[in-house]
Amino acid sequence: MAEEKKGRAVATQTAARIPKFVRGNLSATLKAKEEEKKVAKAFIADGQDEIMRAMDIVPAWGESFSGVCAAKRDAEKYLQKAESDNFSRSLCTYATCHIGFEMIREEQGGAMPEGAPWGGMGRPDMILGNGQLLCDPRFKWPQALQHYLKDVPVFITNMYYPPWDPNTDHHEQEKFYVKYCTEELRETVKFCEKVTGKKMDWDRLAAVVELSDKTWDLFVDTYDLRKAIPTPMDTGDAMNTMVPLTFNLGTQEAYDFYVELNSELKQKIAGGIGVADPEKYRLIWAAGLPSWFALNDFQYFNSKGAVFPVEVTYRGCEKIERLDLPKTNDPLEHIAWRWVRYWTHWYDAARKRHGSTPKVERIIEYIEDYKCDGAVFHSAFSCRSWHAGIINQADVLRKVYKDIPILIMEGDIVDISSYNEADTHNRIDAFIETLEAYKGKQKK
Amino acid sequence: MTGLANSKGLETAEKYYTQYGARATELKKEGRKVIGYMSALAPVEILTAAGVVPVRLKGFVDEAITKGDAYMESIICPFVRNAFDAAIKGRFSFMDGMVLPHQCDSIDRTNDVWSSYLNLPYWHFLNVPHVTDDPSIEFMKEILRVFIGTLEKFLGTKITDAAIAQAIKAHNENRRLMRGLYDLRKSNPPLISGVEMMKVLVAAMSIPVDESSALIRGITEDVKKRTAPADGNRKRIMIIGDQIDHTAIPESIENTGAWLVADDLSIGGKIYWPEVDETADPLQGIAERYLRKLKIPTTFVGDGNTYEENLEARFGHLKQRIAEFKVDGAILFIYKYCDPYGFEVPAMKSYIESGGTPVLYLEDEYSTSTLARVKTRIEAFLEMIA
Ligand code: SF4
Ligand code: SF4
Repeated sequence: MAEEKKGRAVATQTAARIPKFVRGNLSATLKAKEEEKKVAKAFIADGQDEIMRAMDIVPAWGESFSGVCAAKRDAEKYLQKAESDNFSRSLCTYATCHIGFEMIREEQGGAMPEGAPWGGMGRPDMILGNGQLLCDPRFKWPQALQHYLKDVPVFITNMYYPPWDPNTDHHEQEKFYVKYCTEELRETVKFCEKVTGKKMDWDRLAAVVELSDKTWDLFVDTYDLRKAIPTPMDTGDAMNTMVPLTFNLGTQEAYDFYVELNSELKQKIAGGIGVADPEKYRLIWAAGLPSWFALNDFQYFNSKGAVFPVEVTYRGCEKIERLDLPKTNDPLEHIAWRWVRYWTHWYDAARKRHGSTPKVERIIEYIEDYKCDGAVFHSAFSCRSWHAGIINQADVLRKVYKDIPILIMEGDIVDISSYNEADTHNRIDAFIETLEAYKGKQKK
Repeated sequence: MTGLANSKGLETAEKYYTQYGARATELKKEGRKVIGYMSALAPVEILTAAGVVPVRLKGFVDEAITKGDAYMESIICPFVRNAFDAAIKGRFSFMDGMVLPHQCDSIDRTNDVWSSYLNLPYWHFLNVPHVTDDPSIEFMKEILRVFIGTLEKFLGTKITDAAIAQAIKAHNENRRLMRGLYDLRKSNPPLISGVEMMKVLVAAMSIPVDESSALIRGITEDVKKRTAPADGNRKRIMIIGDQIDHTAIPESIENTGAWLVADDLSIGGKIYWPEVDETADPLQGIAERYLRKLKIPTTFVGDGNTYEENLEARFGHLKQRIAEFKVDGAILFIYKYCDPYGFEVPAMKSYIESGGTPVLYLEDEYSTSTLARVKTRIEAFLEMIA
């Protein structure tokens, strides 16, 4: 996510290009009307990116908008606006921030709220959601938004993956899950065709999907370069460099961005340039969205010699080959298989280690591959999706793997009222001491 | 109204309410298996057909969370946390297993927490979809088949279509009987109080369906014989929310001089109105009831041509119930950290108010420790609508 004034200085030059990406995405929603394109309020990681790109629908990313407001420390007025109509402060703050913004705009007869970040975001012509397993706001936010944008049609699709159950073999179930996902994606296409008045160009969709696959592969190859010691890039930058994958999947710009990042990281490795000098502790950001208003905390870690060569958050892809996707000529079915397998491909490993879970298995794999000494989780109070179950993940990790140092930080993604910098730094200091003691013991 | 003492059935309900799970414990001793479940989305017909005793988990509102917080984050809805705390403390030690339907993030995201710390012999997460189109119905039938398969394996018996069809009949009958009891709240004053009704609803979710039906029948007969006192001046209140499963809130309402006459709760109105159609493939009827007929905010409803049509589809039943039960005011009681209900508040509130019924929206914990504040708000609301 791009940040301005209060943000963290990025360690790679490529990451410094991200604000332009984010601004470009926002301004595309504002320019869409002139270009006679439709705007869809959409969600990241909903499987709908490629359909939108292939149909020239401009995505308006609510999460990005709210993240930018948070990074500018300018979300409170929108949160309060939503609260004034009885949206609780305990709900997802990405949603309430964006809904508050739209409420103000509607009250102003469509005029952009003054001071909206980077010119604001265009009014949507449609709202797309996905009642999948990621979160409740993925279908409740669209519905709540329609209360203020009554003329804007809403379409909610549904893409599930087999739930983790150590006693049940998921392989059999995958087929009917994929069938369901594919049918739901087809419904999404029909809806988009209705709103845009244009037919889907299936060849174009196939090309977009192919480009996405290539981008997934390149993303993973590029991020794998961070295994180098010292690591050339850490999570602080990754919270920026995830933007093209997350918000621009299926575009050439996204692919080209990772080509550039890849070459910069290789250069840094060749020159032995790391994020921290000296690099003393390697950590995994094991779960949680970051506090967008406090990305500086990554630099605080770095100043203590701690780096994050890897994170689970926003690594929403995997090497295509590893997913072993069945061949199909239907691009929607391909998206569905890729979606289902992205989640289930850790299941077999989890089944082999008694008491483990796929989420923990993924963390263990990264800890081993990236040679991490400890794990940091962030628990954001307003999002249950990524942040509920963290205590369990930490506990299982200790039980089935080893008793590595773990820090669970508490805060929020957007709502700054829950944040105290001094307390956070104190907790990081204490954690660094634990890491030091742990490393000392390991050497003996 | 003379209270619980004049009905044997109500005394039994009181017993099952205060000693939650007492009957399941007895049945377990007789060799029956007990399967616990959460939420209105668990297909009880299948549990009944399997021959197990289904018991819906509840919280204990006057008990502080003492163990659960070590395993489950405080950003989870307080009802789920309280029920989990009760489970981990052994309040449901009669359970042989559990089915956890996918209702919301608070349930879905804690599936690993429940399963790993309760460590029960049987565990199933039922992946109920959020949308209701035809592919979703087919998908729902698939996941029901998987569920049935795991139960059969655990129990070592076959769950036949005939047994499911019979269970559907039994549960439909049970729903009709409970609606018959609700009817006795339509008079002014109602023949059965909101506090008594809460005990019946809670008792009913802890016993097998045939016992529940017998209980409701007995209570209905006794209550019909009551002669209501001439006290028709009290305001008639309806409560809307997810799982409110204790008498503390009904007491707060009725001790303030109002009657609680109707509800749209997930242990009450939400589950006793919709029935399962008796279809050739029984799973078809079950899938349709749980996806299309249950009005819960975790199911997305939105295929209307206009926003207004969508509102009717989502909340129309509330207006009907308000009219039938002559409701003077509605209380939306929503738990903190509940996204599905929380995001509905502005739309639901304005929809109900547009019909001329005042609404009080309360967001709260699942605990009697905050009850004083709730009572004050209810008192102020009742004064306002007086
Ligand atoms: S609940 Fe979490 S995952 Fe869902 S939209 Fe909000 S921040 Fe994103
Ligand atoms: S109250 Fe809300 S969050 Fe809690 S279990 Fe019910 S639907 Fe889920």
